[in-house]
Amino acid sequence: MTARVVFEKASRWYGPVMALNDVSFELGPGVYGLLGPNGAGKSSLLKLASGQLRPSQGSVRLLGRPAFGSPDVFHSVGLCSDTDALFEDFTGLQFVMALLSLNGFDRATSEKLAIEAIETVDLKDAMHRKVGGYSKGMRQRIKLAQSLAHKPEVLFLDEPLTGMDPQNRKRISDLMKRLGDEGRTVLVSTHILHELEQVTQRVLLIHNGRVLAEGNLREIRDLLDRHPRSVRLQARDPRGLARELVGLPDLVSLNMEDATGHLVAEIRKPDAFFSRVQELAAVHGVQEMWVTDENLESVFSYLVSK
Amino acid sequence: METERPATRPTWAAAQDVFAISIERMLPRPRSFWVFLLMAMPVVFGILLRIYPPRDLPLTGFELYGMVVALFFVRNLLPLVALLFGSALISDAVDSKTLTYFLTRPVSRLSIFIGEFMAYLVTVMTLTVPCVVLTYIVLSVGTPQGAGFGATHLVQDLAACALTLFTYGALFALLGVSLKKPLIPGLLFLFVWEGFVANFPGDAPNYTLTAYARSLIRHRPAEEGLAELFSKFFGVGESVFVLGSVGVISLVLATWIFSRREYVISS
Repeated sequence: MTARVVFEKASRWYGPVMALNDVSFELGPGVYGLLGPNGAGKSSLLKLASGQLRPSQGSVRLLGRPAFGSPDVFHSVGLCSDTDALFEDFTGLQFVMALLSLNGFDRATSEKLAIEAIETVDLKDAMHRKVGGYSKGMRQRIKLAQSLAHKPEVLFLDEPLTGMDPQNRKRISDLMKRLGDEGRTVLVSTHILHELEQVTQRVLLIHNGRVLAEGNLREIRDLLDRHPRSVRLQARDPRGLARELVGLPDLVSLNMEDATGHLVAEIRKPDAFFSRVQELAAVHGVQEMWVTDENLESVFSYLVSK
Repeated sequence: METERPATRPTWAAAQDVFAISIERMLPRPRSFWVFLLMAMPVVFGILLRIYPPRDLPLTGFELYGMVVALFFVRNLLPLVALLFGSALISDAVDSKTLTYFLTRPVSRLSIFIGEFMAYLVTVMTLTVPCVVLTYIVLSVGTPQGAGFGATHLVQDLAACALTLFTYGALFALLGVSLKKPLIPGLLFLFVWEGFVANFPGDAPNYTLTAYARSLIRHRPAEEGLAELFSKFFGVGESVFVLGSVGVISLVLATWIFSRREYVISS
């Protein structure tokens, strides 16, 4: 295995708070999931991996060089961060082109690569609109486009599917899988197990700043399926959608929030539920779907105690 | 799917690319609009003066222009503008969480800083030059001395404005990368140190920037009162040397700090 990302006994503190503790692993080509509950240290790990932070102890190497202070490696590295930050006055195309120009591509090549990446995330129709007017899902997709436009060997994706509708979740999941199959290294951070299952079985489990294991996703999944999970849906026709969903097996409860009009479903085995939502997405105008997975914390606590 | 990768990016080329992005983001900001309105005040004042000329004004239009450049622009407004823009050079990108986009591209931090600073200079000069030129035109054209009188001074004044913006901008950029909240220390520096010490007797003004900056505007009429008694003026060469040196040293230090600092940008 050609190790492209290497953590060696890496720790990181923010003042007295330990965000990562003695983490060691190596990543070669393929897709890896970085799975852990909120606050587990996923973002810190990605920030170290992508050279935004230096380790307090140990080392983090990216493509054979120290990740922090080696800007040259970013010719071959892409990052889709978890922050909702864009150049608000730029159009989608300008935004991706501007960042490609930092990689040293000339204008014509930047434009070609930018359009290619924007097409990949299905935003071509909106690429001449200012990103400040994009919906949450579109913002997420343009962030993804900039991260992969220069065709990096290593791609870090921090919660990449947040705020996307079911069709685009599927599209981006397929894309991640394809990138892994092409031999790229893709590290996807998420607290949503279902998102990972669609693209990889290799997963780094992180909890309280420690990587517990390169876990077996199936085992984690079985544990999770014992805990009902909460899924929030935003749709044009929530009542119609609710009528269609209400008879599904393993649906524990289904409520409509008065304040937001969102549907909140408690489910046990999510596969059938997600597939059904995908089928109904167009008819009932499903705009966004969030899996809140509060119970992941309890599953991880269980794993730690095992 | 592989694309031919460009070689290591030269600092200057990368800085130009950072500049191209930053200038598009810096110029259209509300901050630029409000600063432009402030800078345009002397133009409005000049127009009113031409429409309603006072009977016993002891100054010619050109002398009045000299005072405006020396006192309003170089002494007060430009250092303040430099504080607003310079101290926010990197912190704006941190606050808007867009710094990550620069830090995860194959550009050195030196390039990022140079690009941002160039964008600052171009932005503030774009706001300053039209206002100074219009002030000159409004106040001196059509007066007995006639249009074109003191045009050489106008060019020198613009150079003095540029140097003032460069030096203060670099100093406040240093403050911006060193401190989390640079605005208050910056204001204290401007209004306490620069405001008072420059008018102290003896060698005290040697340790202020404003004494050197005001020495670059040589054509203004004499100030009256105590300030004139104590004001110290330096030669143009000395002033340019001191201001330039402070600017360059501040930039080097700011770049050094920026290159080593970590920025924890979280959602």
